[in-house]
Amino acid sequence: MNGEATGVTAGRIEQMARERQKLAEVLCFFDSNIWLGRPEGFPLASELAPDQIEEVLKSRFITGGLVSHWWGKTVSAQDGNEAVLRALEGQSESLSAVWTGLPLFPPEAAPVPGKGQPPAKVRGVRVFPRSHNFPLEGWSVGSLCEWLVSRQMPLFVWHTELDWNSLHRLARMFSALRVIVETQTQKVLYHTRSLFALMRECRNVSVEISNFAGQGFIEWAVRELGAERLIFGSFLPVNDPFVPMGMVLDAEIPERDKALIAGENLRRLINEVRA
Amino acid sequence: MSDAAIIDAHVHVGQPGLFFAPETEPRELVATMDRLGIAYAVGTDHKSLYEPGGERLARLRDVFEQSEGRLHYLGVFDPRRSAECTSALEHARDWPGFVGLKIHPSLHRVPADDTAYEQAWRYAAEHDLPILTHSWSVSDYNAVQYLSTPERFEGWVRRFPGVRLVLGHAGGRGAGRSDAVRMANEYANVFLDFAGDIFCYRLIETLVESVPVDKILFGSDHPWSDPRAHLSQVLLAEIGVSAKTKILGRNAMRVYRIGTGRC
Repeated sequence: MNGEATGVTAGRIEQMARERQKLAEVLCFFDSNIWLGRPEGFPLASELAPDQIEEVLKSRFITGGLVSHWWGKTVSAQDGNEAVLRALEGQSESLSAVWTGLPLFPPEAAPVPGKGQPPAKVRGVRVFPRSHNFPLEGWSVGSLCEWLVSRQMPLFVWHTELDWNSLHRLARMFSALRVIVETQTQKVLYHTRSLFALMRECRNVSVEISNFAGQGFIEWAVRELGAERLIFGSFLPVNDPFVPMGMVLDAEIPERDKALIAGENLRRLINEVRA
Repeated sequence: MSDAAIIDAHVHVGQPGLFFAPETEPRELVATMDRLGIAYAVGTDHKSLYEPGGERLARLRDVFEQSEGRLHYLGVFDPRRSAECTSALEHARDWPGFVGLKIHPSLHRVPADDTAYEQAWRYAAEHDLPILTHSWSVSDYNAVQYLSTPERFEGWVRRFPGVRLVLGHAGGRGAGRSDAVRMANEYANVFLDFAGDIFCYRLIETLVESVPVDKILFGSDHPWSDPRAHLSQVLLAEIGVSAKTKILGRNAMRVYRIGTGRC
């Protein structure tokens, strides 16, 4: 997508748009970070209704993804987990759910991960240690991590919900646990010294890219950490998928790596989840 | 220079200090611009935000010349060092590539409506230069943002109708955006750039529906954000190609007088 460095005509603008649209369709984007319910802390964002998901994803060249519910953070894990499953009833097979997890002790009411067999739609678990008042430490969430490892189910966590030392200890303690650090709800930019050092030490930690937008981050991470460590996510409907998508489309990396980041890494992760 | 070009109207160069940034040097920015078809950029270096003055402006002039006229620069006005900054700006006023002023009330810890900015506005009016300012919404995790909320600039905008004010980051992600949009509609001299992490869903479409398209400028906030983050957002937005052309460059050419003979 090299462009000229001087004038640009309307025709050239249209051509640049078409090139990106075509590549987006080829790369089959698959989104780890789609949200239902009223967004918390984003007064200008509108709620996405379940029956809008597929239409919105199609308009942004996204083929499917993982859906979460804000209630899993703002109300309770149980309310969010019920709500996301209800919302996905009758929806496309290309949409799966992320549940909110809690420490397994003390035992809490269902539905929460670690209690019985999770529905097949559930392909990941997210924890909110800060909001739900527990430490991201083995003595607290270790049994949940063991349960996740036994099912090869990935663990998602916003960087704003963790402290880096705890995550480092946990990722080393459970080296078979797939951890995805998400770059919301504020930019991860200020924490990249911690994030990248942790990812270098812990091969089981990946990063989601909805707000992984610092200059040259994609190229640097692909070169230093590997394209298989980057997971596409949009944070819809707060953020626009075209932002992280543009970072991938225009990245100076091989097309194969773009395909991994766009969707293959996430598809592989959730296809490996054991029922 | 042709009559249209893609312009990144909000960049920084140099090490930011606060975070790891793999690419920050002017030559690296120019290489990125080449890859993306961005002809020109407007901005300053991080060091100028902390240590503004004649030395930094001279360095930015060198950068402009080394970039063969592509990296235009702004002179930082720190209201705590008003006399020193004004003197440096006076010295630089006819330098090639010098296209306006930059103020950052949150960083300099002086509210945007403080009289300490008087010299900056007078200087901009006298020399027909725009002011690019940081603007944001009141934030519950970044307390100093209250110093840069858009309505704090309203008194200046009224007093100096000939000074073009660009509200960088378009007032941010909260209530500040509503004020920024209102001011862009109400005042002929107020413009919005959407640089930085205001990655909101349908941001471009919403702005085009809310303010005259002539008031919207593409900017990245490089290296805080990669130009690629917002470029595709504009290119793929559900708006007409004429609006895209204006947002991506034509409006910045008009506001910063790029390509009009001044630079």
